[in-house]
Amino acid sequence: MSTNYFNTLSLREQLEQLGKCRFMHLDEFSDGVDALKGKKMVVIGCGAQGLNQGLNLRDSGLDVSYTLRAEAIAEKRQSWKNATENGFTVGTYEELIPTADVVLNLTPDKQHTAVVNSVMPLMKEGACLSYSHGFNIVEEGMQIRDDLTVIMVAPKCPGSEVRAEYVRGFGVPTLIAVHENNDPKGEGLALAKAYAVGTGGHKAGVLMSSFIAEVKSDLMGEQTILCGMLQTGSLLCFDKMIEEGIDPGYASKLIQYGWETVTEALKYGGVTNMMDRLSNPAKIKAFDLAEEMKDIMRPLYNKHQDDIMTGKFSETMMADWANDDKELLGWRADTAETAYEKTPATEDEITEQEYFDNGILMVAMVKAGVELAFETMTSAGIIADSAYYESLHETPLIANTIARKKLYEMNSTISDTAEYGCYLYNHACVPLLGDFMKNIKSDVIGAGLQLNHTGVDNARLIEVNDAIRNHPVEAIGSTLRGYMSDMKKIV
Amino acid sequence: MTMQHLLINVSDLTVEFDKGFRCSNINWQLFPGQHWMICGSNGAGKSALAAILTGAGDIDGGYITGVPERIGVVSFEAQAELIEAERRKDDADILDVIAEGTPAGEIIAQVCKDQTLADKLCEQFGLTPLLDRAFRKLSTGETRKVMLIRALTSKPQLLILDEPFEGLDAASLAALQQHLLSLASHIPMVIVLNRLDQCPEFVTHIAFMQDGKLTQQIARDDHDAYQQLTQLMHLKTTQLTLPPTDIDHTLPELDPAKPLVQLKSAAVKYTDTVIFKDLDWTINRGEHWQLTGPNGSGKTALLSLITGDHPQCYVNDIFVFGFKRGSGESIWQIKQFIGYVSTALQWEYTVGTSLRNVIISGFYDSIGLYSKYTDNQRDIANQWLEVLGMRDRADETFTSQSYGDQRLLLIARAMVKHPPLLILDEPCLGLDDMNRQQVLSLIELICARSDSTVLYVNHHAEDKIVGVENYLALDSL
Ligand SMILES: NC(=O)c1ccc[n+]([C@@H]2O[C@H](COP(=O)([O-])OP(=O)(O)OC[C@H]3O[C@@H](n4cnc5c(N)ncnc54)[C@H](OP(=O)(O)O)[C@@H]3O)[C@@H](O)[C@H]2O)c1
Ligand SMILES: [Mg+2]
Repeated sequence: MSTNYFNTLSLREQLEQLGKCRFMHLDEFSDGVDALKGKKMVVIGCGAQGLNQGLNLRDSGLDVSYTLRAEAIAEKRQSWKNATENGFTVGTYEELIPTADVVLNLTPDKQHTAVVNSVMPLMKEGACLSYSHGFNIVEEGMQIRDDLTVIMVAPKCPGSEVRAEYVRGFGVPTLIAVHENNDPKGEGLALAKAYAVGTGGHKAGVLMSSFIAEVKSDLMGEQTILCGMLQTGSLLCFDKMIEEGIDPGYASKLIQYGWETVTEALKYGGVTNMMDRLSNPAKIKAFDLAEEMKDIMRPLYNKHQDDIMTGKFSETMMADWANDDKELLGWRADTAETAYEKTPATEDEITEQEYFDNGILMVAMVKAGVELAFETMTSAGIIADSAYYESLHETPLIANTIARKKLYEMNSTISDTAEYGCYLYNHACVPLLGDFMKNIKSDVIGAGLQLNHTGVDNARLIEVNDAIRNHPVEAIGSTLRGYMSDMKKIV
Repeated sequence: MTMQHLLINVSDLTVEFDKGFRCSNINWQLFPGQHWMICGSNGAGKSALAAILTGAGDIDGGYITGVPERIGVVSFEAQAELIEAERRKDDADILDVIAEGTPAGEIIAQVCKDQTLADKLCEQFGLTPLLDRAFRKLSTGETRKVMLIRALTSKPQLLILDEPFEGLDAASLAALQQHLLSLASHIPMVIVLNRLDQCPEFVTHIAFMQDGKLTQQIARDDHDAYQQLTQLMHLKTTQLTLPPTDIDHTLPELDPAKPLVQLKSAAVKYTDTVIFKDLDWTINRGEHWQLTGPNGSGKTALLSLITGDHPQCYVNDIFVFGFKRGSGESIWQIKQFIGYVSTALQWEYTVGTSLRNVIISGFYDSIGLYSKYTDNQRDIANQWLEVLGMRDRADETFTSQSYGDQRLLLIARAMVKHPPLLILDEPCLGLDDMNRQQVLSLIELICARSDSTVLYVNHHAEDKIVGVENYLALDSL
């Protein structure tokens, strides 16, 4: 049984690690990829992150090859095809790991312990092991050989985005960290920076963080607002619309594309902009609904954060891993059987504005979820920058996956860890919102307010606008988006 | 509603002119109440089209009907003819006194049917003191005025005016324009003009000639079409020079002795398909190439080996701009030497940024603009917008532009750094005729006025570009 690394630290150390987060400026990356030039980078796994990070690193002039487990090579699995068709050298652990200066572990988190245990003995003295997520180190307490440097470079986007943004000449926001127990030569930071440059991340903004802050915030974001809230929201909104007599095809479409459409507004101007897309009466309505839901859901968000902090969450999940994913697979099957998943979307067009006008409750859920997740993370000691990336920033990226193939696509795209947490959240949140949903009618989901006049009380509107704009996620959001658009448009 | 009767009907008409110039397959219908302007670049056949209405040239097919009897014509040809006739008259009169030639006043009187109007116009044109002077002694501008007065006072049923405003002083120009306006209610006019901005208010339709063909006919009040035509005319007819490159950010020197691109036994293969193989190709500086081949023959794959967008560029023997691919160079070190335009790029270019920023992004090889640009780069982008005829739209968003305009902008973006290699992958794909002509005009301008080596991919034989002389054809395997 592994020991949770976080739990071995003193409270002082825990707080220090959680609070590690600094936005790095572009001029801190003036050495480019130099620290990795001429070094041999070997990637384990060629999936979503592995392939796309590797493509970027190679296009940045670095030496990249892939090592896969022997079965994958023998059976010419997709991962083998990904690597060979893209012109990479592929070899077994025995062939490639001993030559590597940097080993990039980009296998699924669940496999990390096994993978690291088999590659570590083959690694060169003084080489570097890198991760894109800290779960293995933090939650499983993986012990790495003392001579090895351990770093993390975690793009805050799906692999496809990592590549697409690089090709455009940009990058995706990235979190980097050095595992302080494993930095024997003090070169961890230089390597992580060069790696971030190689993937293009430095152009979009790099947060210098810690393994712990990354894991605790990443887990919290994905289980609550990012995946959990969207799943719960989809199911509740759909069932309510059917109950209210809305056409099922319409209800299905409103939800499938609604999340994507309303959260797209987040990218440009945060919650404020999303709310501003509503008419004044609808905005006030959404605001009130969100406030009500926040009060109801706050204990649940706190529980998720607490379970993540204490290690209870990962312990439960790892027990399921040990039990052949019984729970996970069962919940996945249940999701596929829901009325929402099974009802095809209508062909009829829904205009962009209609998604807002008829999806007031969905907007309210996004607002409540983003703000609550952010508030819970920051009050647990996670720095606002990190909390922003793990909540508001990633919401539209996940919503895109629902637009593609509903919840099925979302759950198959996200990591198993996120999926497991998502179901946990959903099972608690659906009943929690039961009473609240009883009072919901089609005016806020499905049909729109249908008011004859759009007049509102000025004083109330000002109050609501102030409350939206003054939420702390908006302040950090506009700063961080500013860094990005600073480079992105400079209009 | 009754169908308005047709005035002039030109049907599939092909006309051959003296010097072998042909106007072919002209279909053109003029209705009462319409006034046409004919435009096009030099040598496109603008004047020829107008002259067809007066019966010029030999008909080689098709027909023309409905041309009225009395046509007032003003053109350089008609002017030259009259001057020539006057000269011949002098030569024919073998007299011992030197003939003065016919006075201008008499030349007017020969055809004039409205002396009062003639007097008034002579006054307005400042021609009155010259009426006694011999016609052939007048300056070009003065003989032009005589021609105008002849045409206007002959009670014409149709006026054909070929560049009527050319060479007129401001006062005469104003008088003429005002007079034409007063005629517009009852005399149909066909006016040949070089510049759209001279187009009189009353003109209702515009005909655009290209290579002896009437390629565009648009109604004046079709604003979109009118704007496109304005741009096309701008590209075709204005004396455009290409904006300079950015002197503060010059590209690294290339060894002039080495080819820009060299592929040896190149191949693109997937697990179970071979797109192409054993391909050798060397592109030397200044050799413009056209790459052809059917769909799926790998044209784009081949190009992307050069641009570095194809991952298999790392397993091929590729030498580009002094780099052996896969020797530690970054993709941006390659891209800096290449300007690139394709339909795929346009699809990817979904960034909500301004037209100016799209052009500036060419300095950084990025889709969208992520770098702080210099004032100089901004200036250069503005100059490109000038070339494209889009200066007034600099701050509009790229994605809200028409498909054709986006393409023009992307070509400017590709050219902004004066790349040693300009790759145009089916630049006319998906464009309608008008936009195609605009794009080709811009590319021809670039071929003629820049040092870039052009690599042009197209499977339409008709979209040939002047100046491209090397061909590589890919077969489907
Ligand atoms: N996806 C994201 O959005 C995202 C974002 C940031 C960070 N990350 C992190 O990136 C890492 C990789 O995630 P991913 O989403 O890229 O995973 P993925 O798409 O599932 O890819 C996993 C790769 O690892 C290989 N693999 C699976 N089991 C293996 C084993 N037991 N031994 C060796 N190789 C194995 C797979 O190949 P074969 O099965 O063919 O062997 C596959 O190529 C994770 O740490 C994740 O947390 C992911
Ligand atoms: Mg995440």
